[in-house]
Amino acid sequence: MNTFVDAFRFIGDNPHLLLVKTGEHLELSGAALGIALLLALPAGLWLGHLHRGLFLAASISNVGRALPSLVLIAFGITVFGIGFWNNTVALVVLAIPPILTNAYFAVDAVDADVVDAARGMGMTELQVLLRVELPLALPLLFAGIRIAAIFVIATATIAAIAGGGGLGAIIVNRASYGDAGVVAASLCVSALAFLAALILSFVRKAASPRPTPVP
Amino acid sequence: MIVAGGPVIPNFGSGSSCEVNNGWFCTDWVWQHWGDTLQPALVQHIELTVIAVAIGFVVAFLLALVGFRYRLLDPPIGIVSDFLYTIPSLALFQILLPITGISVTTVEIALVSYTLLILYRNMIEGLRAVPAEIVDVARGSGFTRIQTFTRVELPLALPTILAGLRIATVSTISIATVASFVVAKGLGAPIFTALEQDVFKTEIFTAGGMVVALALIADALLVLVQRALTPWVRFGRSA
Amino acid sequence: MIRKHTRRAAKAAFAISFGVAIVLGGIAATAASAKPQAKPTITVGNKNFTEEFILGQLYGQALAAKGFPVKYAGSLGSSELADTAIKSGKINLLPEYTGVIVLDLAKEKSPKTAAATFTAAKKFEETRGLTLLNPTPFYDTDTFTVLTSTAKKDGVKTIGDMKKVKSFTYAGFPECQTRITCLQGLKKIYGLTQVKFVPLSSISVYTLLDQGKATGGDGFSTDPQQLSGKYTVLTDTKHIFGFQNIAPVISQKTLSAGGAELKSTINAVSAKLTLAAMRAMNKAVGIDKKTPAAVASAFLKANGLK
Repeated sequence: MNTFVDAFRFIGDNPHLLLVKTGEHLELSGAALGIALLLALPAGLWLGHLHRGLFLAASISNVGRALPSLVLIAFGITVFGIGFWNNTVALVVLAIPPILTNAYFAVDAVDADVVDAARGMGMTELQVLLRVELPLALPLLFAGIRIAAIFVIATATIAAIAGGGGLGAIIVNRASYGDAGVVAASLCVSALAFLAALILSFVRKAASPRPTPVP
Repeated sequence: MIVAGGPVIPNFGSGSSCEVNNGWFCTDWVWQHWGDTLQPALVQHIELTVIAVAIGFVVAFLLALVGFRYRLLDPPIGIVSDFLYTIPSLALFQILLPITGISVTTVEIALVSYTLLILYRNMIEGLRAVPAEIVDVARGSGFTRIQTFTRVELPLALPTILAGLRIATVSTISIATVASFVVAKGLGAPIFTALEQDVFKTEIFTAGGMVVALALIADALLVLVQRALTPWVRFGRSA
Repeated sequence: MIRKHTRRAAKAAFAISFGVAIVLGGIAATAASAKPQAKPTITVGNKNFTEEFILGQLYGQALAAKGFPVKYAGSLGSSELADTAIKSGKINLLPEYTGVIVLDLAKEKSPKTAAATFTAAKKFEETRGLTLLNPTPFYDTDTFTVLTSTAKKDGVKTIGDMKKVKSFTYAGFPECQTRITCLQGLKKIYGLTQVKFVPLSSISVYTLLDQGKATGGDGFSTDPQQLSGKYTVLTDTKHIFGFQNIAPVISQKTLSAGGAELKSTINAVSAKLTLAAMRAMNKAVGIDKKTPAAVASAFLKANGLK
């Protein structure tokens, strides 16, 4: 309990440090998530539309879950040396499975009748995907993006071991910042994760075609 | 080499040129150090995981019973779980250090916490997903509350619970690698040592590869358990 | 009539009990003195780098060979954290550097000789229920290490020469930031206020130097990498890094429990640890990838200590 109070005092005493570190953390997480979205989203959506590659999607999901974050970070620095790419690549690899898998299943699960109707109206395949399947797939899709975002933000702390900076640099440095610092930085990470989830739910609501019925 | 009056410095054996020059993969290092480094680490890692998942399963089950029976308690337990899950494992391990010291206990407490969160969520969801009509039929047929639970709700929730067990196990194997940051046990320890020794590639790839293999094997084993215990479930889209 | 009997009975009972007590006490005393004193369990701790791992194994294995029960607490982190552990009794044996004790833990001024540093360190530890055993012949100080190419490019030979470099980074373990034997010394004693600190986490100083992520770094003088021509050490003319022989810190209670055999076993090991020996062992682990336990074992066996 004492440490908790000390942590808040730490935040009050070191706003600049925490701000800088949070900025670094966001930079790393954002870059990784962005690249992962660019790579996994189109692939997952299109495969789901074609209803092809179930085995691939399921396997990527299983293998992805089995990839330990520390190992990815260690592989990253072994292969790329210290810099921007070693941690970014590791985090991208971590973020792709939930996005790809959820994108696939989200589109795959759209009611076939609705899709047929759209085709019947003369839409091209791409139009069907973007105007019909995607809006209906949004909830499951965003669930996957949310999982990926939380994974990336949490794992970016481990990246500090490999020169990644960010809030992890405080967390691995208990000798310098004390328990108060470790707890403070950890609270910031949790806050970032919640914030990301919140922003994503706003984006999803904004992108949804109709207001969701009140349960 | 003997210096007059000084110590005898034995020949410790030089490393192969692959080891000395930090080649991409030195098979001779793996053979030499399987017994003294890799195998003990593997055994420790398995131990850590099994203990954490076993304890986590039991505690999660008890909590799920409470949350299921007394619906009001579920949201608070749920929110606390969600929050705890966002705490980076590195931080949780270190926060526990002053309390339980540099020992396996510290690691186990943290690992159990993470396992608990995944399993609790899955167990509650699984139990809640049982259709109300089936429960009504069971009660109507004269089953007591306990009988309904053990003979109807629990078996129907089993697939979801087992899916959660799978995720929790793989997750624990992954988090246990980070545990070596505070206590030098498990497969994370060779990885940290190697990072410090000018990023010794062979050790990182070997230990890292072993963790991934362990996770995949554990996952496959649990799929078999899933199929054995719940053969009525079709496995098209696993969670 | 009854009262007289009772009083006599009471006296008899008392006498018998008294007698039994004396006899039992006598037996117990004999038993206690006849039983040999059990050897105390030695819990060895070490800090978080290669040389310390080797030292922990050397002392631990030598003691185990003499029949002492030995437990290894493993890596405790920095000196400050290891100090907390031995003060609290979690461990009772710790190989520590004399200069670190005097300058960083006791925060006293730097003595002029290695012997004076040892004496000051011992005096400090004895105020805390601990003490030091004999120091080793070898010493291992921090060094301001740069790539040889950097030294040539910037034309620097001593640490003081770094004053002409406008801005540079210095990499070191986190505790380096607060120590006068490290970053604080660079800033305050050498006046190098333009230095920016890069904390090390799991990656070694030499990796950072190799990949150009820091200008200079806190290497250790016994690191095997220092023997290759790739790195240059800048001369520490103002002697901020102090005298750093190893002296085993041990709790006074453990020392008296272990007696003369404990003391002589540990001192025998320390006597054999010359600079050449330590360098060879560091190289065997750091470059040739042998394990600290195997290297320590081979060394002890070769010197008749195991």
